[in-house]
Amino acid sequence: MATDKTFAQSLWSWCCSLKLTIVLASLATLLTMGGSLVMHFNPRVFSGMDMQVLNDWWQLRGADNLRLSWWLPAAGISSVLLALNTLCCLIDWLGKVKTRWRKSGEYCIHCGFILIVTAFCWGGFGGWRLPEQVLQVGQTLPLPELPGHYLRLDHFQPVIGDSGRPLDMLSDLSLLRGDLVLKQEQVKTNTPLIYGGLVVVPVSFGQRADGFRFATANGIIDLRQGAQLALADNGLDLQVLNFWPDAARSGAGQVVYRGDQLNNPAFEFVLSRAGQPLWRGWYLLREGLPQELRRHGVILRPTDPLGRYYSVLTANYDPGAYLALVGSVFIGVGVWLALFSFYYKRARGDRPDVA
Amino acid sequence: MTKIMLYSAFAAYAASVLCYLLNVGLKRRSLQTVALLLVLIGFVIQTTQLGLRWNAAGFLPVTNLFATQFFFSWALAATYLYFELRYRIHASGLFVMFMNLLLLGSALPRDPQLPPLIPSLDTPLFTLHIIFSFVGYALFAMAFSLGVLYLFQRHIGAHQLPELSQLRKLNEEAIFLGFALFTLCMIAGSLWAYIAWGTYFSWNIKSVWSTLVWIFYAGMCHAKFIRRWQGSGYAWLSIAGFGVVLFTYLGIGLLLESNHPLE
Ligand code: HEM
Repeated sequence: MATDKTFAQSLWSWCCSLKLTIVLASLATLLTMGGSLVMHFNPRVFSGMDMQVLNDWWQLRGADNLRLSWWLPAAGISSVLLALNTLCCLIDWLGKVKTRWRKSGEYCIHCGFILIVTAFCWGGFGGWRLPEQVLQVGQTLPLPELPGHYLRLDHFQPVIGDSGRPLDMLSDLSLLRGDLVLKQEQVKTNTPLIYGGLVVVPVSFGQRADGFRFATANGIIDLRQGAQLALADNGLDLQVLNFWPDAARSGAGQVVYRGDQLNNPAFEFVLSRAGQPLWRGWYLLREGLPQELRRHGVILRPTDPLGRYYSVLTANYDPGAYLALVGSVFIGVGVWLALFSFYYKRARGDRPDVA
Repeated sequence: MTKIMLYSAFAAYAASVLCYLLNVGLKRRSLQTVALLLVLIGFVIQTTQLGLRWNAAGFLPVTNLFATQFFFSWALAATYLYFELRYRIHASGLFVMFMNLLLLGSALPRDPQLPPLIPSLDTPLFTLHIIFSFVGYALFAMAFSLGVLYLFQRHIGAHQLPELSQLRKLNEEAIFLGFALFTLCMIAGSLWAYIAWGTYFSWNIKSVWSTLVWIFYAGMCHAKFIRRWQGSGYAWLSIAGFGVVLFTYLGIGLLLESNHPLE
């Protein structure tokens, strides 16, 4: 009965062998177990791993810290070999599918695993991530790895609970190619914008002061960059050239920008009559209205800062995401089929074959 | 109300463990029946309480340690009842229900208050992720118990315990079922991670160890086909596997700090 196998047959049996599966799975498991602890205790090297795709992280951090990171390629290679081992097994089964079709569930799981490992490698090498991008309403964000593509924030609305706790952030987002709108979505928690392998998710939001509310002789008015105020009787016009939330006067009397946090707000105005500029200068709110404006009868009494929300978003591109989804469908279906066949085999009194 | 129901379920399980224990010495069939009835009573109380809490919160309350321990204990009781009612494993109940007692007992001193739901957890994918994960864990706990009982039966022996071949078969079933449900947990979790954070896998320690749990039990699904790993080997693997589960569920949260959304 015993026949001598050719070298090729022996090699194929070895590639399909369950013992090899156990060795590779154990190797990948043990390496990752140790590695995960190294990861945990060395956040300096590993904490940014989710900010980039694996290959970018490896180029930036991993390769320079081989003493701490060698386990990752080792575990990766073991997993890829495990997937190849699974592929051999699957091919072997496909050759015998007529007699072994009852194992379809098990082999769906195997197929799903191969697809997910492939998808993970594809995403890790061919994807990119843009973590935490700040976007104000009306602003566009170019996607550098997808030339000609932009994200535009059309509207933003935070959802605040009764206790003042932020509950959600609703960003109306458009994905554009040039002027063409490819997709529009209200992005919020658990509702990303998905287009091809691109997924945009909300991270947080904030508010940035972009002007001030003033009481004037003619009532309340909001001044932001670009605003124009016609001063009632004397034909004068006041235009806002700039607003800085935090500014300071240098030694030479020049006004310098200090930051985005509201602290020492300043307006740059130009005062004109019939289109002819009369005066141009800065009004630092803490210093009081400049002499020149008061001389022309301007009355401005600051009351409240004006803010504009901005949204913080993350954009990830993973070309393998759909393949991973297909893989998980295979695994999900396979699990149910395998459950049925497990009990079917049990009912027939099958024992596991012994390798 | 919460505390009364909690202590009642605990008392029912404690009484069932006592009956199983008495049965070891007295060997009375009636004691086994009473023990099973007590487990059923405890389970009904826990199920009612879970339903009430779910209804009151508007979501499956499994977002803090008390709630997950409670749910784990409920799932373990359900798993035990499945094996007991289907296969009549009788005396094996002592070990399983003792474990459940420890699990529920360690939840008793914790605060049962329903925490508010973090918006990102407000999705059916999260609910499925948790249900499949803890039912999977419960089956791994069952496999652990059956593994311990297998080794006990093999080396010391007790005629009230099922035969070795039966214990082995049940252990393999628990592992297979656990793996199947844990696989569904991983699928729901990855889909949820993708829509919530834009990636289906994150390099945080909890996600990494959940993947390890999955690979470990996938390996176990195959080890039963290899002669060397059958029987005692499989029992030891079930024990080791549950160690990996415990570290993933409790160890990471208690010993290390994780940035997984549930820790
Ligand atoms: C991580 C990857 C893998 C996963 C998740 C996986 C999963 C599974 C599952 C769930 C079963 C059903 C077990 C049962 O009936 O209790 C199974 C069976 C099986 N797997 Fe895998 N497997 C993997 C890799 C492999 C590889 C690499 C091979 C090839 C050597 C293989 C060969 C088999 C065989 C021969 C069976 C038994 C089918 C039967 O006769 O019932 N598996 N696998």
